[in-house]
Amino acid sequence: MKEVIVHPERCVGCMQCMPACAVAHSGSGRLVSAVLELPQPRPRVHVGVGLYDEGFPNRCRHCDPAPCRLACLPGAIYRDPKTNTVLIDPERCINCASCAMACPFGVIRYHEERSAPRGKTVAVKCDNCIGRQIQGLIPACVEACKVGALTFEERDRALKRRTNEVSRRISFSGEEPRIPGAEGFSLLHTLKRTQKEMNELRS
Amino acid sequence: MRHVIIGNGTAGIHAAETIRSLDSEASITIIAGETFPPYCRPMISLFLEGVVSRNQLRIRPPDYYDSLRITPLSGEWVRNIDVKLRRVLTDRGREVPFDRLLIASGADPRSIRAQGSHLKNVSFLRSESHVRDMMDALPYVKRVLVLGGGLVGFKAAYGFLRRKIPVTMLIRSSYPLSMQVDPFAGELLRRELQNNGLDVRVGVEAVAFEGGDRVREVHLSDGSSLKCDLVVIGKGVTPAVSFVPADRIQMDLGILVNQRMETTEPGIYAAGDVAEHFDVARNTRWVNALWPVAVEQGRIAGANMAGRTVNYAGSLSRNVIRVFGLDVLTGGLVNPPREDGYEEIASYDAYRRRYRRLVFRDDVPVGLVMVNYIEQGGVFLSLLQQQRPVGGVRNRLLHPSFNVSQLLH
Repeated sequence: MKEVIVHPERCVGCMQCMPACAVAHSGSGRLVSAVLELPQPRPRVHVGVGLYDEGFPNRCRHCDPAPCRLACLPGAIYRDPKTNTVLIDPERCINCASCAMACPFGVIRYHEERSAPRGKTVAVKCDNCIGRQIQGLIPACVEACKVGALTFEERDRALKRRTNEVSRRISFSGEEPRIPGAEGFSLLHTLKRTQKEMNELRS
Repeated sequence: MRHVIIGNGTAGIHAAETIRSLDSEASITIIAGETFPPYCRPMISLFLEGVVSRNQLRIRPPDYYDSLRITPLSGEWVRNIDVKLRRVLTDRGREVPFDRLLIASGADPRSIRAQGSHLKNVSFLRSESHVRDMMDALPYVKRVLVLGGGLVGFKAAYGFLRRKIPVTMLIRSSYPLSMQVDPFAGELLRRELQNNGLDVRVGVEAVAFEGGDRVREVHLSDGSSLKCDLVVIGKGVTPAVSFVPADRIQMDLGILVNQRMETTEPGIYAAGDVAEHFDVARNTRWVNALWPVAVEQGRIAGANMAGRTVNYAGSLSRNVIRVFGLDVLTGGLVNPPREDGYEEIASYDAYRRRYRRLVFRDDVPVGLVMVNYIEQGGVFLSLLQQQRPVGGVRNRLLHPSFNVSQLLH
């Protein structure tokens, strides 16, 4: 079963996943009209700033067991076993924020939503683009990401790829050891980190 | 294997579900004093407020017991546990034998010492039946008196204020929720409530209630009197252990349990509001009578009862409450003792009414208070639960941009 896998070392902080996510959950499906919709669609993936100003696409991990589901007072959070998606029922949600206390990743937000009753603030989080998947599409954040920081694949495949990267790095084939993983990205992050440290030294 | 569970609260039902998921053959009996099917106790204040219906309190489907092959004994109270003969005795004279017993009887409201506290409409706020009685009285209630500024009193006051009924609250500390918040946040809360019509009186107690067919007036410890039609007593809860044999099952405030939620009597477990385990922030034995704590304890007790050894590291107190224009999220040890080793950092943005405070014991965060912008609360509570040293990241924790990626190395 395919899942959205995050490769944080590749994130350049462009934040394109965020409007793509919001538009995918809009009524019109287009950015120009989505911004005018009421309530305005909001993203469920949140690019957070790291310690060195690098980006990090923070999205729901659809944990199993899901702390939010266990914490939810009215039992509004449930799992779709087919796609392993943890979902929130906006009808049952009482906006108590117990899920905010439970989520160790801080990915749940509270606002009005087109799938919720009019005027009702509810808990909102990533739904694995379950609506798009039913139509044979991939999650919007993955489609938007140009650098491969978000992929949609079998977990084992992604892990195997990482295992291979690590093995190549330490192999004794006599060749020069490869810089692991994301070549260009390591350079970018090193630059950012250095810049940050220089700024701190100056101040 | 015969599992018997005392109480159909959230600890009891989560234990039952965990046992059933691990053992499809075992017999499970739940003995419940309340007749209403499993429901969400924290939501009764929303029922009082008028935001949810009685039916919306229910947290399991109508065929719950049948679908899990649980035998429910409803409206029945346990009178005694015969540890030697391994059976419980109920108030209907029934003897229920067990191989594994879970005591998940919860906690009962603490009563007060005041004359006339037996009068009609002087009530606790613990069960949905209390709320139903209050709602019957609503048509003629002109003023409510709330005793206590803790979570129950606070939520009761909020519910009535939202219904546009005047409320007077008597609190011991100078601000409400003194067990959950620090003085700064407490002051923000008090002002918010007062700005929305709450009459708060500090350091005053109720001495006597007066009335004939129902409560009409209260006499206070400062000599004054107040007309009131309904009184809510929110003076805390105490574990319900009247039926527990103290000579066999060791108790302090609650029933003492080990890492596997087992009591001093092998095969007998306790979970939820009745159990006393270890508080990871306070670093001592403690009863955290909270919904999510009861859930996790119920699951762990159930696993151990079904033969799978699972250890519980300890509980963390935590609360979140939305009150008019303020959202308050708290956890752990918020008001540390005046000892070495404790440090605090805080930031306040008056324009946004955004407050964040963290208490550290050495390098480990042990207490959290957040006012507004509470979405990252779980990230902090996770640090508290893990008792994880934060090192240099401490400087980032108060900043609005703090997020989980700053904890990844």
